[in-house]
Parts: sequence; C-alpha cells; structure tokens
Amino acid sequence: MQLHASLETNPFDGFIESVPAYSSLTVYFKEDISIAKVEATLLDRYTQCIGSSSSTNKSNSIQSVKHIIPVCYDAEYGLDLEEVATTCKISIQEIIAIHTSIEFSVYMIGFVPGFAYMGTVPPALETKRKDNPRLAVPEGSVAIAGLQTGIYPATIPGGWNILGRTPLKMFDKTKAPCSFLQAGDIVQFKSITKKEFEEYQ
Amino acid sequence: MSITIIKAGVSCSIQDLGRWGYQQFGVPIGGAMDTISATTANRICGNDDAEAVLECTLHGLEMKCNETISFALTGGGARATINAQAVAYNRLIKVVAGSVIKLHSDPHGCRTYIAIAGGLKIEKELGSTSTYVFSQLGGYKGRNLEAGDELILNKSIIEMGPSKDIIINEDGFGISKWKAQVSDLPHLQDLVEITCEKGPEWKLFDEVSQQEFFKQTFTIASQSNRMGYRLDGATLSLKEKVELISTPVTRGIIQVTNEGHPIILMADAQTIGGYPRIARVYSKDISLLAQCRPGMRIRFKINLQTSL
Repeated sequence: MQLHASLETNPFDGFIESVPAYSSLTVYFKEDISIAKVEATLLDRYTQCIGSSSSTNKSNSIQSVKHIIPVCYDAEYGLDLEEVATTCKISIQEIIAIHTSIEFSVYMIGFVPGFAYMGTVPPALETKRKDNPRLAVPEGSVAIAGLQTGIYPATIPGGWNILGRTPLKMFDKTKAPCSFLQAGDIVQFKSITKKEFEEYQ
Repeated sequence: MSITIIKAGVSCSIQDLGRWGYQQFGVPIGGAMDTISATTANRICGNDDAEAVLECTLHGLEMKCNETISFALTGGGARATINAQAVAYNRLIKVVAGSVIKLHSDPHGCRTYIAIAGGLKIEKELGSTSTYVFSQLGGYKGRNLEAGDELILNKSIIEMGPSKDIIINEDGFGISKWKAQVSDLPHLQDLVEITCEKGPEWKLFDEVSQQEFFKQTFTIASQSNRMGYRLDGATLSLKEKVELISTPVTRGIIQVTNEGHPIILMADAQTIGGYPRIARVYSKDISLLAQCRPGMRIRFKINLQTSL
C-alpha cells in the first residue's frame, strides 16, 4: 500500500497507474519504457517504503481512513441471516454483534466498480458462497463469504451471503474518488433500524 | 452538425482508447476492442488518436448524416454502402447531407470503427468517452446506441484539409485516392494463430493441459462479449486443486475457469480475478482477436522472443 501511495503521489516517467490487491501490486506503464528501468525504479521505491515503515519516521507512512458504515440488519434486507444462523449455529443477534464489532480492513477494490473486499471475518461467521448465486443482489447489500465481507455497489448477480443493507452509495461517478472506499481504509459496521435506513434515502 | 442512428444493428457503442487510472477503484480500462483500427480511423480523419469513435459489432447499423461530413470506416465484420452504393474501408470519405450509411453482413472480421473528421461531441466521464454499460459510464448516456439517437459533431469539417480534394459523385459521396495500410482481416472459416506468452500460473497446470493449450484448436463461444472471449475446446486442468488469492487482471490475460474452459479477458474485463492465468496474449495480437467473432477457431502459439 505504501508503494502504491508513493507511485500515485510521485509517479515515475511513463507510469500509468497501479492497482493494489491482497498480496500484490500491479503497475501499468507505457510500452516505450524499458522493463529493466521500471524494475530498478520499483525496487528502489520499495526499499524506501520498507525503510520508512521500519524506522520511526512516519512522514512516508499512509494514513488509514476509518469509516463507520450504517447497515440495516432487518430481515427484509438481510436475506441470508437465517441461513447463516443455521449453518454457523448462532443466533441472528450474535451474527449482528460479531459483524459490527470488528474493524475490517479494505484489501482491494475490484470485481465491479466500487466493490470493496474486506477482512477478516472471524471463523465463527465463516460461510461458503451460495451454491446457486442470486441473479440480482440489491445495491447496498452487505454480505459475507469465506473470511471476507463486502458491499454490493450495484444490483448485480452474486453468491455471497447477505446480512443487511447500507443506504450509502459505494460507487458514484460524479464524486472524486468515484469509489467510496479505498484499499487501505478501515471499516466498522453500525446497526441501524429500518426507520433510520429509510430516513437516509 | 449531427448524425442520426436509424438502426443500431447487432451492437454499437462509443469508445476511445480507454479509461486509464481508475482500476484501483474497480473501473475497467474499456475502450475500443481493436485499438489499432480505432486509431487508424482517427488518423485517416486527421483526428487525435484518442478521439471518440463508433464501434459497431458485425452488421446492421444504419445512420443518416444530417450535414455534409468526412469520415472513415476501418476494421471489419461488415461491408458498407452509402445511398445503396458500395464504399471502401480505410479511406477518407466525404458524404453530402441526407446520405444514409449502412453496414451489411460480411464474413471477414468482427468490428467496424467509424471516426468522424473533427470528432463527436461526447462528455468524458472519469477521463474517457468510452461506453461502460455496467456503470452507465461515458458514451451516449452511458449506454449502447439505439435507433433515434442523435450524435452531435464537434465542428464543420468541410473546410478541413484532407477532404478538400475529394470529388463527390452522383450518389452523394467521394473517397480519397489514398488509403491507410492495414493488416488482412480474418475470414470466419480461418484458423487464426494468436501469439501469447506463458502466464504466472502456467506451471500449476498438468503436463497434458500444457501441451493441449498450444496443440488444440479453440472455438470462440457464443457467450463472448466485450468483457471476455470464452473458448470451447480442450478442457484444461491443474496438477492439483488450489484456491488462488485474487490479483489484478487485464486485457489479454487468459484465465481458466474451474470447469477448465479458458477465457481471454478483453476490453471491459473486470480489474481483479481469482482464476489461474495460464497465458497472456501478446499485445499486438489483441486487435486481431477483437476482429475474430464467435464461432471462429483460434490456436495459440508461443512468443519465442519473450519466452527464451
């Protein structure tokens, strides 16, 4: 993430963009730049990043933004609450308590514009993807799969288990940045009532 | 200054050279599938390479020029007529107001690009005019073109240099004496060779699959679209089942699904993928692939320069 931030704020010649993922960073650069030169630059930057994070010098370290995201866990929106309760052998109240108690890290944005992959869901809430993915998961649905949690930024097909829905917009092309969440952010969910959810609209 | 879409045909959208810089937010690069043909169309017209063009998949487009304009047709998948008279691709064409341009079926190629000299008046969204239907981004109202849409042009082009010497015939159009040099288009019965290099997960595939990948002929499946080409043919399998950590993916990467079918990621590919990446198409061959339509057969060959 530090290397990503370093490249975005101080791009090298020919740099186009970089895309962080769980355990990798993909760097796109112009075709006419030699790969050897880019490799040397990246190695150099990486060494700098490692150096700055291990020393007490915090000037280069990135600031994580923390978001409190309201979620309505009402049965009307939490389409899979009962199924998750059955498979995980816990109550719906416990599911909500666990899901709202954790500070999740945003590992990457992808799959579709604005979809944040977050973790780590504790093993008590570990679920498998649905055998038959839904053809239309409603926009704003907050869901879990494996040890991950995420928010659907648009109404699309999906196989994750839906716990609730947020009234916040995760992707808005008119805003800069267009994605509400960024890789590196911290997210904590907050349970809201159906009435509070409707008032957001 | 405008043109009106009478029929949109199989599929027609506005594209440029892509939306760069937003993959970290999950927004695909998108843009023209065949960037070489899109660029050629713009260069014939004297436009910037990144000017918005129409990308028409196969045939069926009908459009009416409401003013006298100059434009270029490149790529393939169709043959064109103006006022029912055949007209050549890869040349600058001048056409009088009221003329109707139609694309008819043809066995060569897959996508026609239409650039208008002076360009189309299209707002950029997230830095690009490319249509990305999923997020209603760019293009004409964020969607593919439909009958009745009116596209506004940037400026009158008649006084502009390259089309000045073109003589209009009795059918209401004229073409340049010169033409752009382009590669041949694949015929739908051809076996097209696509150059690629081994991908990061190549070694995870079993030996039979590694051999089959370069030996077998694959057919582009009918579910193929701007996101990716699904291939029917040999079923490829891993030495052992592994769950991979998702990584960024991009145009040209060949993923293999759990069922063993390869998918070549194309312009509107998702930004993150979790399937094993068996190979990557050599960037120069992506435009060739974009001119291959469903039902066509392809075979992969190794790019020796990068694999040695």
